[in-house]
Amino acid sequence: MADPKISIRNLYKIFGSDPQMALKHAKEGMHKTELLEQHRHVLGLRDINVDMQAGEITVIMGLSGSGKSTLIRHLNRLIDPTDGEVWVEDSNIMTYSDARLREMRRKKMSMVFQKFALLPHRTVLENAATPMIVDGAKRADWEKEATRWLDRVGLEGQGPQYPHQLSGGMQQRVGIARALTSNSDIMLMDEAFSALDPLIRTDMQDLLIELQRELQKTVVFITHDLDEALKLADHLVILKDGEVVQQGEPQHILMNPNDPYIVDFISDINRARVLRARTVMKKTSENPGDTSGEVDGNDTLESVIAKSRGNADLSYRVMQDGKQTGILTMRDVVTALVPTEAAEDGMRKAS
Amino acid sequence: MATYDWIFDGLGLRGWCDGDGSGSGAPMSMSDLMNQASGEQPDVSVWETPFPSMDALNDACDAFPQSREVTKGLERGFLDVKDALSTVLDPITQPLSWALEYALWAFQGVPWWIMIPLLALLIKVVSRSWGLAAFVAGSFAALAFIDYYDYTMQTLAVIFVCALICVALGVPIGIAMSRSDKLQQAMIPVLDMLQTLPPFVYLIPLIFLFSVTEPKLYGIAIILYAIVPVIRLTNLGIRLVDKEVIEAADAFGMTKRQKLYGVQIPLALPNIMAGVNQTIMMSLAMVVIASLVSAPGLGVLVLRGIRNLELGVGLISGLGIVLLAVILDRSTKAALARVNAAQKH
Repeated sequence: MADPKISIRNLYKIFGSDPQMALKHAKEGMHKTELLEQHRHVLGLRDINVDMQAGEITVIMGLSGSGKSTLIRHLNRLIDPTDGEVWVEDSNIMTYSDARLREMRRKKMSMVFQKFALLPHRTVLENAATPMIVDGAKRADWEKEATRWLDRVGLEGQGPQYPHQLSGGMQQRVGIARALTSNSDIMLMDEAFSALDPLIRTDMQDLLIELQRELQKTVVFITHDLDEALKLADHLVILKDGEVVQQGEPQHILMNPNDPYIVDFISDINRARVLRARTVMKKTSENPGDTSGEVDGNDTLESVIAKSRGNADLSYRVMQDGKQTGILTMRDVVTALVPTEAAEDGMRKAS
Repeated sequence: MATYDWIFDGLGLRGWCDGDGSGSGAPMSMSDLMNQASGEQPDVSVWETPFPSMDALNDACDAFPQSREVTKGLERGFLDVKDALSTVLDPITQPLSWALEYALWAFQGVPWWIMIPLLALLIKVVSRSWGLAAFVAGSFAALAFIDYYDYTMQTLAVIFVCALICVALGVPIGIAMSRSDKLQQAMIPVLDMLQTLPPFVYLIPLIFLFSVTEPKLYGIAIILYAIVPVIRLTNLGIRLVDKEVIEAADAFGMTKRQKLYGVQIPLALPNIMAGVNQTIMMSLAMVVIASLVSAPGLGVLVLRGIRNLELGVGLISGLGIVLLAVILDRSTKAALARVNAAQKH
């Protein structure tokens, strides 16, 4: 595998009056509740190790208080860690000077916020152009670039408006346009769609997937919503009480949850809509001959069931890029719909 | 015999009490004199036991200082440092004198037929309301009609200079306070004191420090009294700026300066403007009191009304001040409303 774009190594964050003292206890294996009870320090993050590949969407998921917002703020050092390193393209950003850090924030990393965080006294166009204005670009340049990205996210002609004149969904489009204007390879999205209503949220997710297909950025996306995480993630990291519970390919986590917490988490979702044919199939390139048709590896089980009209005796050839990669029987499909118990082995190990 | 003789006797200090002083050197109170005249010692019951104050202890022991020594000592101390203090403060505050003199000269020098339309036009630009501009022109015309024009202009000139200096000093102080919790903790008691100390009180040391003929005397009094709200509200306004917007500013690599001028001050502007409005109102209140120390303007007439019991003069000039207050308040509020409208969330 190629070198990761962002690599978080042994990251600890402890809030309180004497973090170094508490750090020692955390390193000796103390967890969040014990540390709070015995030493009055809040464990933000404990021994986080995550690699994020270039061009992928890495989703960090957890409930509130799990430390996911704290984690994403370490990537551009809005928060400094108590211990540990963050590497971005082969350099440890903990060693950066203020000037170099600003340079990285302007050129390499942009951020989208939950409550949009637009500047209310600037127009939509000026807001979208913020990264270039901050960097001292000429008016003609930033106007052109910001207009281009506003058009791209579907806000043609809204430039002269003020943020408060737009709806929530439109304001977040400005937020995304602002992140894109900086032309950075890395985009940090902190619960970017959580403040929007469900229908608009779906629209925005589709917009992000579409932009990602086109731009291939390295996206780090924070969410508390499992459906959203499964829809967007190439790599899923599940956080609980400041620790990584499980990380890996989302389909794999669904089939092999390694912690009761994750089992709880995934028990409520519609598995038919999330699981894909390639996850459930038996791998084989042989054609048994008696199949009733072909399905794509990325088809959801829901669409396979629809295709079979509920007939449990059928089986399909699973195709990927024109080649057969496996066989999917309807019996497997139905079995896969039953939630799995936590796998005994592989607790807290990257898959 | 005094009530607290036993303390000094008990401590064996009787010798110190009697030996040192040449008898009863300190001046006596009227009741002591009367007692001495009638020659009888009053019987003090338990019910009437005096608090062991400095004066009561002095009764028992002549060497013990009377309470008036406290105020006297303070006065002596102040007079001792006075000369050193004024050699430092005099040159620093001299520009204030010049500014006030120049403003008074300018406001009175411009003929009325330029000044009144100019003020009305200024109000129109600030508030974008013709109604307010007409009201301002009408008010000034009415004051001029009863020959109060010069006094009004003097008051306006003093407020103009003092409020301007308040903003020029207060906003940076407020910004500094918003950036440092320690400075805020240190400043808040000072601001509280400035706000609650009766304004007459700080006129007294100022009279000692500067000559009453100098304009800076009342200038400083007004500024000290009126600067508090603009400092407080600048500090508050900047601290209230949405944390996420500040985070966004950091995340896009803004420098401290870009953040201050591009985000914090513009977003704190409604609060800062409210502070400026309060500062103007308070300097208007103080300009009347400052007429006690030769501040010119409508306050002089109010003072004349009180001193000579000229009811009409006092009332009319008081009304003139109210009119001025309404004008200044409405125009700054109109400007504030425009700022607010421009940055709704």
